[in-house]
Amino acid sequence: MPKREIEDCQINVLHCENCGTLDPGPRSLCPKCHSAELAEIAVPGAGTLLSWTTIRRPPTAFREEGPYHIAVVDLDAKLRVTARLTAPSPGIAPGARVLCVGTRNDVPVFQEIDA
Amino acid sequence: MTQRVSIVGIGSTRFGPQPGKGIVQLAVEAAEAAIRESGIERERIGALYFGNFISGPLTGQEVLAGIVADHLGLANIPCTKVEGACASGGIAFRHAKLAVESRQCDAALVVGAEKMTQASTEMITAALNCAMDNLSDGVSGLTFPGLFGMAWRLYEQRYGLTRAQVSAVVRKNKANGLLNPLAQMGRYLTDDEIEQSPFICDPMRLFDCCPTSDGAAALVLAADELIETGGAVPVRVLASAQTRGAARIAGHSDLCSFDATVAAAHLAFKEAGIDRSDIDVVELHDCFSIAEILDSEDLGFMPRGHGAHWAKEGRTAVGGDLPINPSGGLLAKGHPVGATGVGQIYETVLQLRGDHQNLVKDAAFGLTHNLGGTGVACTVNILGRYDA
Ligand SMILES: [Zn+2]
Repeated sequence: MPKREIEDCQINVLHCENCGTLDPGPRSLCPKCHSAELAEIAVPGAGTLLSWTTIRRPPTAFREEGPYHIAVVDLDAKLRVTARLTAPSPGIAPGARVLCVGTRNDVPVFQEIDA
Repeated sequence: MTQRVSIVGIGSTRFGPQPGKGIVQLAVEAAEAAIRESGIERERIGALYFGNFISGPLTGQEVLAGIVADHLGLANIPCTKVEGACASGGIAFRHAKLAVESRQCDAALVVGAEKMTQASTEMITAALNCAMDNLSDGVSGLTFPGLFGMAWRLYEQRYGLTRAQVSAVVRKNKANGLLNPLAQMGRYLTDDEIEQSPFICDPMRLFDCCPTSDGAAALVLAADELIETGGAVPVRVLASAQTRGAARIAGHSDLCSFDATVAAAHLAFKEAGIDRSDIDVVELHDCFSIAEILDSEDLGFMPRGHGAHWAKEGRTAVGGDLPINPSGGLLAKGHPVGATGVGQIYETVLQLRGDHQNLVKDAAFGLTHNLGGTGVACTVNILGRYDA
């Protein structure tokens, strides 16, 4: 993936205006200082795959989409998010570099960055 | 001065599909058996705590605590339903224990019940997902098996887990279930059968998952002065700890561990004043095969990464150095969600009385572990033989 494109991929998270904590949200109080001054900001969408699975028996609301992949990703911006993973290669493993390539229902969708 | 609390009567229905029996009928059956066994007069029972997760959506019936008390002919006592997803039963037990311990009453009834198998798979999946934080994890399309599928994959990479090690947990618990008359699906399974069952959430397969169940279990807790000589053999409640963990997956510090279990185990051992090496039998929350491995490490029974070897080496079998889930666990006994935590205590009481069909010989101390949601609620209880 070209470098330019990687820089363009961003993900919206909550930033505490009082203490600077970042949180994937949604929530109304800062989990660290309990301030209600939370602003949505964009952070770089690059991160590291913590783990992933394939949902073969989806909940009713997602029935039409199955099977699909769910991942937990540690963003370079130092926060962890639950997300979708698209088109994982057969050998993809925890520790793989991934990039946010869009959203679905406000949930980030990640794709493996070609090694 | 607090009162010492003992379990003086137990009752349980079989776990598994029970067509024709509603949730109230199941609960009354278990509770009536527990009250009769205790020999305690119903007017002495001063509180009822009812563990149930999802009777509203699945059966259209709520206020179960009051309704069941009415059927049982209890006095107009406080009747409380508690909900903490899969930990609902354990939480109900802890509240009953606190009520007796703090002298709010001399005896209390705990009932856990769930009725699930009449509902469609879609309804059940939707209902179970109520136990997820639907502002965050729920909207991603994650499921509970999915959470454990991810934990498995990470554990596999970190510790070199093999399919055969996880299958050993499945084979042990399913075989234990064969010896438990209350169990839903005891069975001798081969590694091949397990490995050829369909994927649910890779790498997790069908036999790695507990079944949907109907069932109820009940306990009568009492202060020492109410214990009748000649009644059922009492079992001491040495500790009951309840903790909260992160409500969202992203809030967990590690996918291979649940903070709530670690904290509850710490509190429970402190309260009981015994060591992990004193525990003779464990009933823990094996909603999925991999969960048994994570839970046993979280409870502090072995170092991280070692839980996987134990089942394969037979160390968690009845007769091993730490028998885990001799009842068959959730994997084989079944998981009627609200009844599970109470059922674990029922099984452990039988072990400590020396009266279990799959007996751990001379057990003096037992531990139960009940985990709810994505690790948001946990209870750990420690029971002891009355004379231990
Ligand atoms: Zn803050």
